[in-house]
Amino acid sequence: MTDRRLIVFNLLRGLAAILLALVVAAIFIFISSDEPLTALKYLLMGPVVSFRATGNVFNTTSFLTIFAAMIPTIFSGLAVCVMFSANQFNLGGEGAIMLGGFVGALLGIYLKMNTGLHQVVCVLAGAIAGGLIMLIPAILKVKLGASEMVTSLMMNYVVMFVILHFLNFVFADRSKGATQTFPFMETAKIPEIVANGTKLTWGFVVALIFVVIIALFMYRTKWGYAIRMIGINQSFAQYSGMQVGTVIILSQVIGGMLSGMGGSIEVLGRFNTFLWRELPGYGWLGITIAILAKNNPIFVPFAAFFIAYLNKGCDLMATYSDVPSEMIDIIQAAIFLFFAAEQFLAKYRQRIVVRNAQRDLALQEAAASQGGSN
Amino acid sequence: MEQEFIVEQNEIEEQEDFVVQMRGVSKVYPNGIAANKDVDFFLRRGEIHAIMGENGAGKSTLMKILFGLEQPTSGEILINGQAVAITSPNKAISLGIGMVHQHFMLVPSLTVAENIVLGMAPTDKSRLLVDYKKAVQIAEENAARYNLRIDPNAKVMDIPVGMKQKVEILKALVRGAKILILDEPTAVLTTQETSELFKELIALKEQGFTIVFISHKLKEIKQITDRLTIMRSGRSMGVYNTADITEKEISRLMVGRDVVLKVVKDKSQPTDTVLKVRDLEYTNRWNKKMLDKLSFSVRKGEILGIAGVEGNGQRELVEMLFNLNTPDAGTITVCGESIINLSQDKIRNRGVSLVPEDRMTYGIADIASIEENVISDRFSSKRFNKGPLFNMREIHHESQNLIVDYRILAKSPKQQVKMLSGGNIQKVVVARELSSKPTLLIADQPTRGIDVGATEFIRNEIVEMSRDGTAVLLVSADLNEVIELSDSLIVMYGGKIVAYFEDSSQLDDLTMGEYMLGLKHQTEEEIAKVSYD
Amino acid sequence: MIGDLLLSIFNSDFLYSVIRITAPILFAALGAVIAEKAGVVNIGLEGIMMISALFGVLFGYWTQSWLIGVLGAVAIGVLLALLIGFFAFEMKTDIILGGIAVNMLGAGGTIFLLYMFTGMKGNTGSLVTRELLIPTIDIPLIKSIPYLGEVLSGHSVLTYLAFLLVWLIWVVIYKTPLGLNIRAVGENPNAATSIGVSVQKIQYIAIGLSGALAGLGGAFMSMYYSQGWNSGMVAGRGFIALAATAMGRGEPVGTMLSSLLFGLAQALRTKVSGMQGVSSYLVSVIPYLVTIIGLVLYAISIKNKLKKRHPVAKGAE
Repeated sequence: MTDRRLIVFNLLRGLAAILLALVVAAIFIFISSDEPLTALKYLLMGPVVSFRATGNVFNTTSFLTIFAAMIPTIFSGLAVCVMFSANQFNLGGEGAIMLGGFVGALLGIYLKMNTGLHQVVCVLAGAIAGGLIMLIPAILKVKLGASEMVTSLMMNYVVMFVILHFLNFVFADRSKGATQTFPFMETAKIPEIVANGTKLTWGFVVALIFVVIIALFMYRTKWGYAIRMIGINQSFAQYSGMQVGTVIILSQVIGGMLSGMGGSIEVLGRFNTFLWRELPGYGWLGITIAILAKNNPIFVPFAAFFIAYLNKGCDLMATYSDVPSEMIDIIQAAIFLFFAAEQFLAKYRQRIVVRNAQRDLALQEAAASQGGSN
Repeated sequence: MEQEFIVEQNEIEEQEDFVVQMRGVSKVYPNGIAANKDVDFFLRRGEIHAIMGENGAGKSTLMKILFGLEQPTSGEILINGQAVAITSPNKAISLGIGMVHQHFMLVPSLTVAENIVLGMAPTDKSRLLVDYKKAVQIAEENAARYNLRIDPNAKVMDIPVGMKQKVEILKALVRGAKILILDEPTAVLTTQETSELFKELIALKEQGFTIVFISHKLKEIKQITDRLTIMRSGRSMGVYNTADITEKEISRLMVGRDVVLKVVKDKSQPTDTVLKVRDLEYTNRWNKKMLDKLSFSVRKGEILGIAGVEGNGQRELVEMLFNLNTPDAGTITVCGESIINLSQDKIRNRGVSLVPEDRMTYGIADIASIEENVISDRFSSKRFNKGPLFNMREIHHESQNLIVDYRILAKSPKQQVKMLSGGNIQKVVVARELSSKPTLLIADQPTRGIDVGATEFIRNEIVEMSRDGTAVLLVSADLNEVIELSDSLIVMYGGKIVAYFEDSSQLDDLTMGEYMLGLKHQTEEEIAKVSYD
Repeated sequence: MIGDLLLSIFNSDFLYSVIRITAPILFAALGAVIAEKAGVVNIGLEGIMMISALFGVLFGYWTQSWLIGVLGAVAIGVLLALLIGFFAFEMKTDIILGGIAVNMLGAGGTIFLLYMFTGMKGNTGSLVTRELLIPTIDIPLIKSIPYLGEVLSGHSVLTYLAFLLVWLIWVVIYKTPLGLNIRAVGENPNAATSIGVSVQKIQYIAIGLSGALAGLGGAFMSMYYSQGWNSGMVAGRGFIALAATAMGRGEPVGTMLSSLLFGLAQALRTKVSGMQGVSSYLVSVIPYLVTIIGLVLYAISIKNKLKKRHPVAKGAE
């Protein structure tokens, strides 16, 4: 199957984008740092290597924290995959994550339940909250044609401020210095897989399970199929008899549920109380991840790993050298721009397409001359 | 003696004042389709010259070449005797050629005056602001000079179609056009507006302008043109003085098949009525009546063709059959139940399938695979779903079968549809629409723009479906197709049915041409027969 | 107490602050207006504001001139917008994604750039001295008018510019040849091409102008409003601007009015922060809720205008 050539091409194109972005980063580092090589060392290798006088050692703990960091971003990436596949530019993931985290946290503080069940209920509540909030931009889009992008962006802020209100005025633990809620019950916290302080909780396993679930959903169910067809050609979907409006709403609600789930799993896994005082930022990471994964859920963990690795590298670079950790945003933006540019390396893709077409033509002619009907 | 004669001929030719000469112009597209084949076109200064032909005859292409929107594959163009290469519309404008397109190129929220001076707006003393008064002045002066009534201050979105056209004409004139090309100008006009336009064109001619008029409307051509060139299947069938040629002769030259492609089929044995269209009426948003008390029926086991030049209401009719548009009055029923304003999935549930004219917009999702495309109308059925998941084996099975049955040439079912040739893309659409074993199949230009092999295959499939009991409504501007493939056919003209032929196999091109071009009209009784009441 | 609150809205100090707060939103919103008229969607206004805000301060500091600082901010804004345009028009990136990329760049890239250029982390600290701030003007006659004088006089140069630009942009769009071309490109690109106007050139100009305006908004924030740059200072104003433009139906005057509405909401929020019993958080929600409601009303009004029929697929036009 010669489409394999195209797949390989796309992979290489992705790598080229990443390499270019790193080159851009390297340039910035060289300009701004007094010790650029050290900075680069920590950026590229720091996340998994401990630089010791006695020799460099693979740092397992650090490696595992990368996976821990992936937990919320995998969910966020999956959410964006679903919504973007339907061609819905819903950017409300930020708000849904925070809401999911808050709702899950509240149930974790005030609801008495046995462990095991408690976490499931909290996370489920977070998911439902996230899904419900996405109904607003979704319905406004379908019934009134209002831009889901603007309404979802606004919802982010509405959600954030409403949560902050409740956080400060209703659920605040006045005994603590900084504003935060009361601590979660132990039964609600999501435990680490191995208690080693890496915060790599069972949430990671859940995240991977959902990668499979969402991949199946998108490619092996009728709803995922409808979402994708509507995203490709809405007129075609309508003419084929698909319920376009309902599916558009569905795509955004699912996106919201995944975001909410990610938020609650992260909050209950990493922290002891709810202490997010602003939008956590995983929503935007999710967009980058979805772009890198080309909206395919299967590639989300890889993209998430990559982003988490770079993030950690930037943090280490900031700690051990003089380059600020915000370099990650520059890298992200560069990768994003290159990756999303259809024309990036388009000439090469064109060559492959043409070669394919020519080969097809030859095959067809050969088949025709044999008088075959295939 | 003979040689002297020939020399005389040449001298006569040279003395003719041809403002435009197109010699041996051919246009072949990369996919192999030849829109113009070795066409000669001579335009005399100061005449109104019509280019006539059916849809697809190549007349629009020829004029697009003249206006620089397309480049010829071969041939030469001379303007005022000088050979030129018209590489872009700007070049054409500089040569004094202006074109009024079928789809207007106007900016709705700008006023008439602003549209006219767009791109060359006069500025005031400061050179920064538009001198609107001057723009209005330019518009009014030119309007008066050419006798084209316009309201310079009205916004284009508020003015009627007739005035929009005048604005387009003024746009060309203001940019120095001496040669005006009008592409199907009366397609959008009411009768009233048409006669106004003709008055203006004659006035322009008297002022020395040369006008080319692309049309297929016989009566109009006869009214105002001096000469006409007839095109058919990309070739020129000759140039004639309008006064010297009859409508019948024009019709014979315009409408005819070079090769008659017979379709082998058994005689149809139609039974119950499946589709009933009664007294359908529709006036479009430009106040043109596109459907005028249209009534007909289609029965099980027959192929009813709708013949006619495009633009006579066929488009609107097909849209209404699939809820892409709503009639003003009338009924449409399938097996006794109305399908007006029914959602597409419900229409499909009633057993209706549509092979759409615009396959890229409606028929397929281009970056999805063949498999995904071919199940788009049935993906939620029990057969393809095992619980929450797809039954992939059944789906693969189905798509493989369809690929084999409909001879879709592709590497695998996973291939993206947009990679296929036009004919194979259409086969994907046909495979899906026909394999659902519909009660009523609507085929709208089913073989347009595809290769001969695919065409033949698809037509045979349609015949087979019909003989198996499906009622088929075939809408086609391709004469061969509509005569040979249909069992019976109706001719649409001006939103009405003007003829019904129970047995289309006996039809000759001449007769067809006369009905299609509005020269002939059957009686009410004869037409009513197609309603089978 | 609510009564007191409502009355205090008419306090001249309050109205003064409303105008002040509206200005940066208005700049960005006007940028969105111009872009939209040419059929271009620039959602990177937030990022452009942040980055230009930073560079405004930097340029000002390096040259010790606030004017150069402002001009520098504008230049950076233009460059960023042209970058988005390049990726959208040449590289065929979805223009929305291009805007998101610039927003990402603005979020953390600014902190990084600040460090790179000055070694400072997170904010510009004492870099911005009094002389570097955009000067305010006391308008001679007006300042003496009771009440009105307090509301209208004494604003910064840029504040007056923002409102002046409403009229200027209106003139450009509706009274200049460029404006005609922009509207043609935005409504019917074919019409523009058919008379030799380059659609791409016009779109570059439009997006460049939107970047310049966002740059002014950024400069306003860092060189006057917050008297320095810090990360998080723009706080979504670039997105609110998008909403203001949508509510203002893409027209300069309407956009000004909706921007004022948001300014009012934010000013209320500041006023109410200190008060007992009223949650500043809930008040903060108002501008965003108002946007959504405004968008809904707008969408409903459009729906009523459109005829019920589906448009004719092809054919006469």
